[in-house]
Amino acid sequence: MSFLSFLSQPVSLSHYLIVGAVLFVCGIVCMATKRNAIGVLMGVELVLNGAAVNFVAFSSPFLRADSQLSLGLDGHLITLFIIVLAAAEAAVALAIALCYYNTHATIDVDEGDELKG
Amino acid sequence: MTLTSPPILLSLIVFLPAVGALVIGLLPKGRDELFKQVALAFTLVVAALTLYLALPGQPGAGADSARFLLGTAQMQHAFSIPWIESFNIYYALGIDGISLPLILLTSFLSVLAMGASWTIDKHVKAYCILFLLLETGMLGVFMALDFFLFYVFWEVMLLPMYFLIGVWGGPRREYAAIKFFLFTMAGSVLMLVALLALYFNSDLNQLGPAQLAASHLHETVVERYDPSGTAEPQHTFNLLALAHQGQSENSPFSQLLVGGKSIQWWAFLLLLIGFLVKVPAVPVHTWLPDAHVEAPTPISMILAGVLLKMGGYGIIRICYPVCPDAAYELAWLVCTLGVISMVYGAFAAMAQTDFKRLVAYSSVSHMGYVVLGLGVWSISGSTGMTGDYWKMGMNGAMFQMIAHGISSAGMFFLVGVIYERVHHRNLDDFGGLFGRMPVYTGVSMGIFFAALGLPGLCGFIGEILVVLSVWNYSQVLAVISASVMILTAGYILWTLQRVYLGPEYKGPHGDEIRPITQRELAIAAPLLAFAIILGVYPKAVFNYMAPSVNKLVDDLGQARYGNDYSGGIEKQTGSVERIEPAENELALREISPHREEAGQP
Amino acid sequence: MELATLLPLLLLLAWLLPLASFTLIVFAGPRLGRAGHKAGYVATGAIGISLFLSLLALACWLWHHPLTPSHHAETHAAASDDPADPTHERSEHEQSAPHTGSTASPLTGDWYTLAEFGSLRLTIGYYIDALTLGMFVMVSLIATCIHVYSFGYMHEELEDVTDPLASPSSGKPLVRAGRFHRFFQYMSLFCFSMLGLVVAGNVAMVFVFWELVGICSYLLIGFYIERKSASTAANKAFIVNRVGDFGMIVGLMILFGALGTFSFGDVAQSDGTVRKGIFSQVRPAENEHQLIVPDGLIRMAAASQMNSIYASVPSNEEAEELIGRRVAELRKVGTGYWLLVLAGLGIFCGCVGKSAQFPLHVWLPDAMEGPTPVSALIHAATMVAAGVYLVGRFYPVFAPEVLLTIACVGCITLFVAATIAITATDIKRVLAYSTVSQLGYMMFSLGLGGWAAGLFHLFTHAFFKALLFLCSGSVIHACHTNEMPEMGGLRKKMPWTAWTMLVGCLAISGAGIPAMLGMKGFGLSGYYSKDSILAQAFSVASQSQTYGWLFYVAAGGAAITAFYMFRLWFMTFAGSPRNQHVYDHAHESPASMYVPLVILAFFAVVAGWKLPSLNLPDLLEQARPLGTAEGISFAGEIAHPELPAEHRSHEETLHRTVSWIAFGTALTGFAIAVLFYLLRIFNPETVRKWLAPLHAFLIHKWFFDELYEYAFVKPTLLLSQVAAAFDRLVIDRLADGSARFCVTVARLDDVIDRYVVDWAANGIGRLTYRIGLWLRQVQTGQLRQYVVMIAVSTVALFLLIVVCRNLMLFQ
Repeated sequence: MSFLSFLSQPVSLSHYLIVGAVLFVCGIVCMATKRNAIGVLMGVELVLNGAAVNFVAFSSPFLRADSQLSLGLDGHLITLFIIVLAAAEAAVALAIALCYYNTHATIDVDEGDELKG
Repeated sequence: MTLTSPPILLSLIVFLPAVGALVIGLLPKGRDELFKQVALAFTLVVAALTLYLALPGQPGAGADSARFLLGTAQMQHAFSIPWIESFNIYYALGIDGISLPLILLTSFLSVLAMGASWTIDKHVKAYCILFLLLETGMLGVFMALDFFLFYVFWEVMLLPMYFLIGVWGGPRREYAAIKFFLFTMAGSVLMLVALLALYFNSDLNQLGPAQLAASHLHETVVERYDPSGTAEPQHTFNLLALAHQGQSENSPFSQLLVGGKSIQWWAFLLLLIGFLVKVPAVPVHTWLPDAHVEAPTPISMILAGVLLKMGGYGIIRICYPVCPDAAYELAWLVCTLGVISMVYGAFAAMAQTDFKRLVAYSSVSHMGYVVLGLGVWSISGSTGMTGDYWKMGMNGAMFQMIAHGISSAGMFFLVGVIYERVHHRNLDDFGGLFGRMPVYTGVSMGIFFAALGLPGLCGFIGEILVVLSVWNYSQVLAVISASVMILTAGYILWTLQRVYLGPEYKGPHGDEIRPITQRELAIAAPLLAFAIILGVYPKAVFNYMAPSVNKLVDDLGQARYGNDYSGGIEKQTGSVERIEPAENELALREISPHREEAGQP
Repeated sequence: MELATLLPLLLLLAWLLPLASFTLIVFAGPRLGRAGHKAGYVATGAIGISLFLSLLALACWLWHHPLTPSHHAETHAAASDDPADPTHERSEHEQSAPHTGSTASPLTGDWYTLAEFGSLRLTIGYYIDALTLGMFVMVSLIATCIHVYSFGYMHEELEDVTDPLASPSSGKPLVRAGRFHRFFQYMSLFCFSMLGLVVAGNVAMVFVFWELVGICSYLLIGFYIERKSASTAANKAFIVNRVGDFGMIVGLMILFGALGTFSFGDVAQSDGTVRKGIFSQVRPAENEHQLIVPDGLIRMAAASQMNSIYASVPSNEEAEELIGRRVAELRKVGTGYWLLVLAGLGIFCGCVGKSAQFPLHVWLPDAMEGPTPVSALIHAATMVAAGVYLVGRFYPVFAPEVLLTIACVGCITLFVAATIAITATDIKRVLAYSTVSQLGYMMFSLGLGGWAAGLFHLFTHAFFKALLFLCSGSVIHACHTNEMPEMGGLRKKMPWTAWTMLVGCLAISGAGIPAMLGMKGFGLSGYYSKDSILAQAFSVASQSQTYGWLFYVAAGGAAITAFYMFRLWFMTFAGSPRNQHVYDHAHESPASMYVPLVILAFFAVVAGWKLPSLNLPDLLEQARPLGTAEGISFAGEIAHPELPAEHRSHEETLHRTVSWIAFGTALTGFAIAVLFYLLRIFNPETVRKWLAPLHAFLIHKWFFDELYEYAFVKPTLLLSQVAAAFDRLVIDRLADGSARFCVTVARLDDVIDRYVVDWAANGIGRLTYRIGLWLRQVQTGQLRQYVVMIAVSTVALFLLIVVCRNLMLFQ
């Protein structure tokens, strides 16, 4: 199956997964490349969202051929959980970033290697 | 049960010193004089109790009297209380003519040694506690009727002695204490092996009912008694029961063990070595000079006066009665070691320059008489199969133990008296003490003459009885043992000359020599008095001792010779005029041979 | 009261009184008057009462057993002339010896039992016969005289004494407190011991008191304890005696082991039975009191046979019967005889020590270090004679071989000691060697069968030798020196001493007029006793030439005796003073000293006289052991001496010859002494130069001391050093070595623990630590690296899983 045919097909689980994967990879790359702590945080959010897309997609009865084996609302619930978690995490992370700024006068993550082994 | 009933009184005698140790332990520290007084008071009370024990009692006095029944050969006042029943271990005590004199000696010497301890001023509290514990151990050994209990007391006495030498001793005290401890422990281990071997081969069910009754066993043990021959064997540690087993005709101890030798042969050998270490006999004697040289004076007195006697006591109480056949087989070994000790100790004593070492070697020599006297198996056809000579030897050996207990304790004390004044013991640096300390010299001469075996003093009786009994066992040993008296005279007189005689004192601290004090005289004078009393009236000891010792000899003779043995019956020794049968009667008998006559039913 | 109860009681009292005196002085000595001088009265009183009691006892004895003149000897002479006829001899014997005649049976009994085991017992008992009583009187008499004498001699000890012979390092003479009471304390103990020895009823009791007199001798020789020489001499005396006692113990062991008794005589028991003593076992009445080997000794010698008989026969009664017959067979082949000989030699060994016989004579001259009264009492009159007394007492047990040994030892002793006495210059040493020599005579006589002669000489010698010693003490007291070359001419200063001493010299030389022209011989006590000894020796020599030399040596000894005794007297009392200082200060001793001299001189003259109702030879004849009157015809196993009966020596012709020989020899000795020392016709110095090697040999006492020093003392000390070294170097090293071995093993254990087990445990720890250290490098602290690593790792894990799964699928 060529990439083009893939695009021409109706939206299926695979498409969601590709979106999720792209989001995930973008997030990873963002985390790995951004030196700004906020950037990194954004990368984290991307990764979380990529994962959340996957969950939603897998739990959707419309997208799955074996719908009679549905997992019910589990996927949705976990997605909701991820969103909440992301929010909480963002709050904590921002607090950390503030503290970090207080001590280092910057939020460049490369500057802080106190946790080096 | 009153205070004088045997279980109470005997236990009281054994454990009162331990109670005293506890009391001293509870007293506030720092009051040295008080500790000594309390310890002395306890030893005095124990001595009084043992004296009560020795008072001749009436035969029908009942169970509440613990007085000694004179003329009784059997174990007296014996009792047995369960202790560790699962292993047939009982708390069994008792006394007889063999142990009582030694118990008296122990309690008496403890009082004197405690009196001699007044000069101790280092860690007095600990000293008094250990001293009293030592006394408990010693008295326990002499009273125990259970082999295990005997062993426990044996070890109990060891530890205080170790500390008493190791803490309060002279410059090389650690070496001496460890040497003492190791030698004695080695002996103890051998004893333990023999103890277990005897225990696991014993069986009460093989005893006859009379023997069972004579063994003073606990009633639960008697209830389990089942002579049918099918019952499980009932092991025992009871020394009397073990003795009955050893002397019986089909003794379980006669089974072969290793090297073609029986269990009792090995048990005898192990026990003998264990006890000879304590005696001490050559060649396991070298702990003694070191221990004596380093030990403080009162501990030397106890060591020489009592501890050495335990070896002899063990031999006569355990080795001989329990293993009679082995004793017969190994009598040559016992006697030879005894004679070697006598000669060797005397020679070694002559070469010493340290006063205490000399006395220590003289102990080796004198205890050799004990070993020799115990060893001589002087029953033979040449004297009509009577045990009389053997009885004389064994009684002499036992007497020698008492005599040596008095004379050696006295000698060590006297050495201590002069050591306290001049702080050295070098024999070549004395001299002229006669003029400076006349009373001391007089007492010393008496005590040393007692050791020399001068008639009229205690040493003579033991030595002469032992030596006279040897001839019928071995003529060579007899001659050698007689020659020792030349050597003894040599080293003792030479010592007296170097220490007491001469124009002046030659050593250091001459200005500190002062006459003997009242306290010292109060310790030395009783020893000299006993040396004289026992030398002039030895029956004071023999009246107690002889029946038990004679019974032992008769038992052994019976066990060995059966019908041939005729005990104390006066026979053809020629000393008693017999009514000779008329000559023609003799001639008549000669016609018919005796053997055939006896063979007919 | 009966004699059998009265005599033991009297003697018991007489015996114990000195002990009471000793005890009193021990406890109250210094408090008895000023400087304890009343102790002397206590001791003298005690021994004086003892003397009275023993005289009483002797009187009682003589009342019951009056002396019969020894004519029965002559009646026997006929019998012994015809030894081929045994029946004749036997009948003769039964008539006279055991029950009738002059032999009074001894009183025996036990006072006290020390210990008993079955049939064996050690007792304190008595054996009282004429010999016992005679000795008792003699000892207490001389002791009383010497106690009195000591008041004078020891009076210095009442004050502080300056002892010039003690040598403290400061060089100044030592000043010490006096020890008057101590002297008498020891003397009382000695009297008690000596009387106990005399009265002893068994040989074990003899041994007990033998040792006690030995220790008294030790204490008194070493009385001047500050002098090294005195204490050394005391040690020497005691130890040399112990050498003899060693032999005695062996003898005791044999006799006791075999016979089961120590008693001399038969002792009646309280239950009516009679315990047989040694004498009646060795010389049973059934055998006419002739020596046989007793059953016990045969059984002992054949012990293994006895054992096998017991083992082979079921009942003891039968075994005993069989043994009885076997013993009779064995007796015929001489089994056990050597044990009898050995026992006799052993007992004699003790006597050799006590009586200073060759080869144990070396202690007696040194014993002169003691105060002179001690030398007189102990080392001349009584204790040293105890050996002779015991030989006499034990005479029935000695086999012929033993008697021969005794004779030879006595002969050697008398000659050796006499020769040494010639050159000695110390007045007491001359007397000491003379004592040794005279004791040799006694032993010699006893050994040759002259039982009565030997003991007779014991008595007479006791008197004149005590006298001589006391005289020498008087001289020393006056001159403060022992050296005869310092003296001379003293007879003018000390007449009592000089003339009494002359009596002593005459007595010891045997001065007298031999029988001639039908008159009986007459002389001082020594004349009789020495003559009877020589007569016995001559009688032996005339019977068998083998032993002839013994007589010639003894006769020669008599000449030497006379020579050195008069040499002593001339050097001391005659001539002119050699040292004027000494002479000027000399003075006659006080009455307390010369009165005893006079008394003893009296006895030295009359002790040998044959008064009809009281004389020593007849008294001794009463005590003659049963069965010995006929001499020795019992052939031994090794030697076969034929010792003739003693009464043969009384025969007129033989006795006259001997008297003249003795007279001649004594006169010769006297004459030489006169030539050398009185008239000074010959100069002793020149003779000394002529015979220089001989003189050196004699002045060194035949080198006995040196010989013993190298042969016995040094090896013994060496051996003792070896024993001590063996202890230190071998046994201790073994013990220490085994301890060190254990320590080494422990160290090894420690090393293994530390370097193997610990190393392994620590190594693992350290490895983990290292890995941790290495791994921590991953922990950079760089957030972004972490992210990349997580991502990469996740992918890598994913890939790994895929690869693994594929690999598994393709398998």
